[in-house]
Amino acid sequence: MNQADVTKLISQLRIAVRPNQRNLKNPDGPEGRLLKLRKTVTALMKHERIELYYNRADEARGYAELLISNAIRHGDRHKATMELADYWLLEKQLVHKLFKVLVPRYENYNVSYTRMYKAPRDYPGMYYRQSVLELRGNPYPSLLMDQSQNRNLLHNVLLDEARKEFRRKKLADLVN
Amino acid sequence: MNVSRAMSKRWAQQCVFNRIVAFSTKPTQHAAAVSEPAAEQETVATPAAATAQPATTTPAPTTARKPIVPSNYRFIYPEFLPDPKVEWRNPIREKLERLDMLDRRRQIDLPEFYVGSIMAVTSSDPHAAGKTSRFVGICINRDRCGLRSRFVLRNVIDHQGMEVVYELYDPTIQKVEVLRLEKRLDDNLFYLRDALPEYSTFDENMEAEHLEEGAPVPVNDIKVVLRPRPWLERWERQNLLGVANIDQYIKDKHRKSAEKVQKPWEKFDMMKQYRSTIPEEEQKEVFAEVHTELHSMELQRKRNKRKRTFVKPKQLA
Repeated sequence: MNQADVTKLISQLRIAVRPNQRNLKNPDGPEGRLLKLRKTVTALMKHERIELYYNRADEARGYAELLISNAIRHGDRHKATMELADYWLLEKQLVHKLFKVLVPRYENYNVSYTRMYKAPRDYPGMYYRQSVLELRGNPYPSLLMDQSQNRNLLHNVLLDEARKEFRRKKLADLVN
Repeated sequence: MNVSRAMSKRWAQQCVFNRIVAFSTKPTQHAAAVSEPAAEQETVATPAAATAQPATTTPAPTTARKPIVPSNYRFIYPEFLPDPKVEWRNPIREKLERLDMLDRRRQIDLPEFYVGSIMAVTSSDPHAAGKTSRFVGICINRDRCGLRSRFVLRNVIDHQGMEVVYELYDPTIQKVEVLRLEKRLDDNLFYLRDALPEYSTFDENMEAEHLEEGAPVPVNDIKVVLRPRPWLERWERQNLLGVANIDQYIKDKHRKSAEKVQKPWEKFDMMKQYRSTIPEEEQKEVFAEVHTELHSMELQRKRNKRKRTFVKPKQLA
């Protein structure tokens, strides 16, 4: 039984969070794991879409979301948040990007700030789970196909039939 | 093989814990935006739409009158927050526990206290004369959550240091008084076990010290003097603020071995901090549930304090 630590107020993360952390095998131990995750988070903030192995992507996602949510909550005048951003973002121009570009972008969001997809795995070969991690609102075209115009999906089947019914009725009214 | 598959399936179900708070993808509705459309509708609506007006104006007052939970509830009632460990969470059990905690609080007044406050607890004891026993001590630790939440009182009686662990919602506890309400610089005072006995000695017949209503809880920044080594724990590694003479007993070898064990990166490990706490939205939901009851109990407590109690005069002759 534990008592929750109430000294800091953190916002709810809008992603699925594992009950325990993945230790991500590293010769430098926990410090090396955090360094690798820092590099991943820096790359995510820089390129806004990265392809990497699933486990590290899932770990980095939590840290990226918390970094953005702390930046939104406290802003850049808060010393602890600035130190956090300085630690996590290895390229210092990204600290500017975080507070000047990403915070205004995500201020009024009700959903998560990142999206994670499963990517095709290299078979036969290194069959590790691959994933694509991206920030929402990135300038690239969407990775998912636009299914809104697929005539074979149920919503379009029903709408097409409704349209045909409407036009049939209109024609019948005109004839009469 | 089958056992491992069954275990992994159950663990996978526990993985994504269904939090109480749900999110929609609709844009956030600010309070100003709620009142604006209502105002617009009033000005645009013609006399013909007079019946629609009462319907638009009534939602605004009800949202404005919603009770606001004070922000310091998480410090006064930390046991109402659930366990941060996801595997031990159960929303139904937590809800039932909260109801039971409120029921118990209706029977007995459990005052606000912190680590460092001096308290007196009267509990029923079948082996004591008068069937009750009273223990006065300083609260050195507050632990656990829900109905199992507990605190430890420490005192030195007849040159013997002793600690008693009390569960806050134990039905055998008859009275809990806070004799001196104050906070300390650390969130647990286990170092008092290795400190000079005068820092843990408190008079059993101490009288309650009065604190003004609405005054902030005073922080006692006393620095305790430790006894010489050997100690029960390695106090030099715990970054304690309330200890005065820790450097007096630390040698170079202790400093070197402490440096090897340091984890300076843990300060920046946000996910570890997230997993050891309850997020703000969930805290708000929990306290919104219990706020009205707790607030009415606080008001009752204030009224009882101001009430003058009638003491029956003793017959002398």
